[in-house]
Amino acid sequence: MNRDFHSDAGGEMNDQDIAMQPCAEWQPLLILLAAGDELDPADDARLAAHLQSCSECSATLAREEEILALLAEHRNEPDAALLAECRASVEDALDREEEGGWLRRSLGLLVPSSWLSPRPAWSAAVLLVIGFSVGVLAPRLFRHPASPAAPDNSSASNLASSAAIPGTTSNEAPASPVPTSLDLHSADVAGISVFPSGGEGPARVELQLRAQQPVTVQGTVDDDDVKEVLLDILGKGDRICPDIRLDAVECLRSRSSDPEVRSALCHAVRGDHNAAVRLKALEALNGAGSQEMVRQTLLDALVSDQNPGVRVEAVNALRNMAAKGDVPSDDHTLSVLRDRMQKDPNTYIRLQSAAAIGDLGPRAKF
Amino acid sequence: MGMSVALEGDARQAAAVKLAEEQALVRKAQSGDRLAFEDLVRRYDRDVLRLALNLVHRPEDARDIYQESFLRVYRNLHRFRFECSFYTWLYRIVTNVALDHLRRRTSHREDQAPVPDEAEGGMRDFFDRQPELSAAANPEKRLLGQELGAHIQEAMKRLSPRERMVFEMKHYQGLRLRAIGDLLGTSEETAKNSLFRATRKLRASLDAIR
Repeated sequence: MNRDFHSDAGGEMNDQDIAMQPCAEWQPLLILLAAGDELDPADDARLAAHLQSCSECSATLAREEEILALLAEHRNEPDAALLAECRASVEDALDREEEGGWLRRSLGLLVPSSWLSPRPAWSAAVLLVIGFSVGVLAPRLFRHPASPAAPDNSSASNLASSAAIPGTTSNEAPASPVPTSLDLHSADVAGISVFPSGGEGPARVELQLRAQQPVTVQGTVDDDDVKEVLLDILGKGDRICPDIRLDAVECLRSRSSDPEVRSALCHAVRGDHNAAVRLKALEALNGAGSQEMVRQTLLDALVSDQNPGVRVEAVNALRNMAAKGDVPSDDHTLSVLRDRMQKDPNTYIRLQSAAAIGDLGPRAKF
Repeated sequence: MGMSVALEGDARQAAAVKLAEEQALVRKAQSGDRLAFEDLVRRYDRDVLRLALNLVHRPEDARDIYQESFLRVYRNLHRFRFECSFYTWLYRIVTNVALDHLRRRTSHREDQAPVPDEAEGGMRDFFDRQPELSAAANPEKRLLGQELGAHIQEAMKRLSPRERMVFEMKHYQGLRLRAIGDLLGTSEETAKNSLFRATRKLRASLDAIR
């Protein structure tokens, strides 16, 4: 109950007192009545008695309810595509968070900050020891084992000691013996840098690998070494961080007509644990041609991927192919599309599945 | 009478089962089970997105609020001690993120990119391209509806962040004023006053287009 309302009353009010109260004083109670479930029973009864005799307050209440209905009518409902986009963005952010969390935990084991923070002297001493150790040990660890006088050909590499392995289009000479194919497969990938060519040619790709010694592989995605490492990244799945897998898919996109690349992209769509990677691989496959393997991958993603964003991309790609006449209207395709049209929890996917059946046109057998 | 008591008992039992399930899910998520966390997200994220969208209106801002809220939940889940329901705890985070966003937006309104306008060739999605089957298929009625929608958005913009939040949570999330006060870290009385102010402002704005 509104405090002002009671304070003026000076005790128990009879029906006549209630009826004589000015309407302005009833306004807060009218708002609470319209809001629903907020008035205590005593106020509710008093207000009901007043409303029976006051046409002005009855009109105000009606107007209040009219405004609420109007506002409810013009509310924004999030559409399925936005929700799918939000979910995918959170999953990506969580992937990044988990990697960051692992790094923080590892550092936490090395530097127990909760213990050090209230002890500034100890903190300074530990920092001094770490600084001294890094200063003394780092030059020894990173000293180039092959030839100290070798020229630094890897200008883009930020590794202290690296062997630049140019691809077929690169004219840079290697600074140390070229690693074998086995080295390329066993190395961890530390990062991918892509440098647009500026013209119509393929972008230059630089891959930083951690083998027995840091290695940089440079070239374009048309170079076999580069392609081999990029395919290897997708093949390793969760052992490589999702950001790098995403970059690898992006690099391979321009070679999606290559059967080996196409197969790796299909593999990523089916098996990568990160929704963003699956989504990107699907985008790369969208327009990769009408191969049976691609069509089957899209249908499988549409049926079984848990992420609505991925299913949305799959159905969009299928529609794209259907519009071009690249999808045969066979029983399997139609039965998958009909199933999704009826059962997918996502409205957009249901509608797009129906549209894809329509795109298949008179070929579709109902 | 007997029937209604039995139904009430069933409903209470169902709520208790749901609560126990949710608590088990939260515990799994606290122990690092990512799938359990994603399950929790999916239980409430539609409501969170709806709240965000109706507070800020721009889908990209709503997405930011959604993402920031669930990231904060993820980072702080280990601090959740089951002293309130997970829903209450989640909403406390969402309201804080949304209020921060609204306050920032109020102070940097000039930084806002214009909302894509269909008439100016803005992006239209699949749903926009679908034929209208409702009463809005009538162009005149549709135009009036759009104008009204614009008036309502303008009226909502005149509310302070807190007033907008209280109004939204009271009328569209169905929360009691006491719960809203709790979520916003204030009293029921303050939430009530915010609701009064919001209602009066909206009434004044919308009476003009009556």
